[in-house]
Amino acid sequence: MPLLQMKNVDINYRMKKNEVKAVRDFTLDINERDIVGIIGESGSGKSTLAHGLMRILPRNGYMKASEIKLNNKDILNISDEEFRELRWIEMSIVFQKAMSALSPVHKIFDQMYDTILAHKPQVSRNEAEEKLSKLLEIVNLPKKTLNMYPHELSGGMMQRVMISLGLIFNPKLVILDEVTTALDVITQGQLLDEIKRLVNEFKLTVMMITHDVGVVNEVCTKIAILYAGELLEYGNVKDIIFEPFNPYTQALVESHPDLNPEGSTLKGIPGILPDLINPPESCIFYDRCKYRKDICKNGKPELQDYKGRKVKCFRVGELHG
Amino acid sequence: MDKNILEVKNLKKYFPVRKMGKKQYVKAVDDLNFSIREGEIFGVLGESGCGKSTLGRVINRLDFEQSGDITFLNNVISGKSYKSDKNFRKKMQMIFQNPYDSFDPKMLIYKSIELPMKINDVNSDAGSRINEIVETMNKAKLTPAESLLTRYPHELSGGQLQRISIIRSMLLKPKFIIADECVSMLDVSVRAGVLNLLLTFQEELNSAMLFITHDISVATYICNRIMVLYAGKIMEIAESKDILDNPLHPYTRALVSYSPIISKEEKKRFRITGEVVTPIDPPPGCRFASRCPMAKDICKKEEPILKEIGKNRKAACHFV
Repeated sequence: MPLLQMKNVDINYRMKKNEVKAVRDFTLDINERDIVGIIGESGSGKSTLAHGLMRILPRNGYMKASEIKLNNKDILNISDEEFRELRWIEMSIVFQKAMSALSPVHKIFDQMYDTILAHKPQVSRNEAEEKLSKLLEIVNLPKKTLNMYPHELSGGMMQRVMISLGLIFNPKLVILDEVTTALDVITQGQLLDEIKRLVNEFKLTVMMITHDVGVVNEVCTKIAILYAGELLEYGNVKDIIFEPFNPYTQALVESHPDLNPEGSTLKGIPGILPDLINPPESCIFYDRCKYRKDICKNGKPELQDYKGRKVKCFRVGELHG
Repeated sequence: MDKNILEVKNLKKYFPVRKMGKKQYVKAVDDLNFSIREGEIFGVLGESGCGKSTLGRVINRLDFEQSGDITFLNNVISGKSYKSDKNFRKKMQMIFQNPYDSFDPKMLIYKSIELPMKINDVNSDAGSRINEIVETMNKAKLTPAESLLTRYPHELSGGQLQRISIIRSMLLKPKFIIADECVSMLDVSVRAGVLNLLLTFQEELNSAMLFITHDISVATYICNRIMVLYAGKIMEIAESKDILDNPLHPYTRALVSYSPIISKEEKKRFRITGEVVTPIDPPPGCRFASRCPMAKDICKKEEPILKEIGKNRKAACHFV
């Protein structure tokens, strides 16, 4: 049973004269206990999608969809007040910049207790302290962290605090928005190990937003490839990384030094992102695709089920038959 | 490839800090010894705070060493400032991480490229300078060159601007290039183009390069040899393939095992704990001892020297 069902999600940003269509027609079901890596380069709409799901878009952003369900419950057509009741309790989000997500002038405990009070005002200070020390222990932080200020912690420790904050109410779905991007290699590796352990311990479903295929390869079970606001491919991580079907996925994977055959030149993707104010009527990758043909110009390809994954490409049957 | 273009001996760079009224030093770069051959791409790999950028800045005389010798093209350059030495600047060029910071935002692109050529007398005549710029832009597939050149930096994408900043350096035909994290803020698909451009020019001019990065995948793709730094000290120097496939030093082993390198085989972590030691008056012994799973008593007392291990290979560890 899918935990999160998204159907035809569109997210736009209003500008002075026009609108940027950041996410278009995004349809995806995320099953329970899946760890889904959402991969995309800058401007692909991956963070916009996460913010839209949490209803924390900036003021000029708005979301349309035909359906969004969490645990079979409609979360699209409910009021902000109703949404507040399930935010952080059923789904939470962890941001990239822990440094700016935490207040520099309050102790860690006060900030975490604040989050608890915002959702469950009846919890007492002592109860909270007990709960939080246990939680910090789980993410391998000493209990004294509660009495510290953010500047006393290292980047990795701060990100652990943020993750434990996201787990306070044991939510079903956790969105990790580039959580390891700002960290050093070893700290990143250690945190990824931790995330893998927590996912099992808390029986989490995770949406992990990142630009790094290597990170997805380490922790995720599924991967979704986002390009210029559209979902182009979705399936098992290893299948897609080692045998991509969509031309963009293929080009992306070939740009990665690890996956480049030894001795050959690294291929990039020539060209630039399409205009998101007036997105093209054709396949979104048409301009930069090396397999393009005339059929690709006419209309948009559907996201179709193909060999156990979802692919958006007119020529997939022909190229990978 | 046999002649050394750059030799660094006992290079130290300390930054003074005052703590509780006591004068102490951040030992950003501490006693480095290495040399770079002609035409070689030499990678400096390390995490934040390991001193890799400081090293680049000291070599390029943007910062000055505490002590030690740097020999560049058989001239001792340490102890001098080279603030107005055109000849030196022309031979050694630097490419920075953020191209938006390394271009004057109020200057048209072609002016930004032309000015260093004019100052360094690459081409005396303005018309032929422009011709050369356009030609190089076309070669780098930055087209239409004329339209790109008459824009301002904010009108270009990060990848385009970084490629232009490489062109700007390369038009001076430098003998030595220092690239400081020059692709770390770019998307993967753009990164490839920038790296390839760097390689094309480097091959054409046969210049040597100091490539500073934190990304082991990029380092092994582009570099001939890699030097691994940790808290201001050299841990290991080896050919890139050896660093990736057969790291010897415990720190390198940890670094490789924790990197999100994509491969079909499952890899095992070489587990370490703790955080990087503070570079402010660090304890005696090996800098990595407090986190090293192989550490014995000797590691905390005696500092390991960088010793030769096999061909083209050095490591600083008591147990290698």
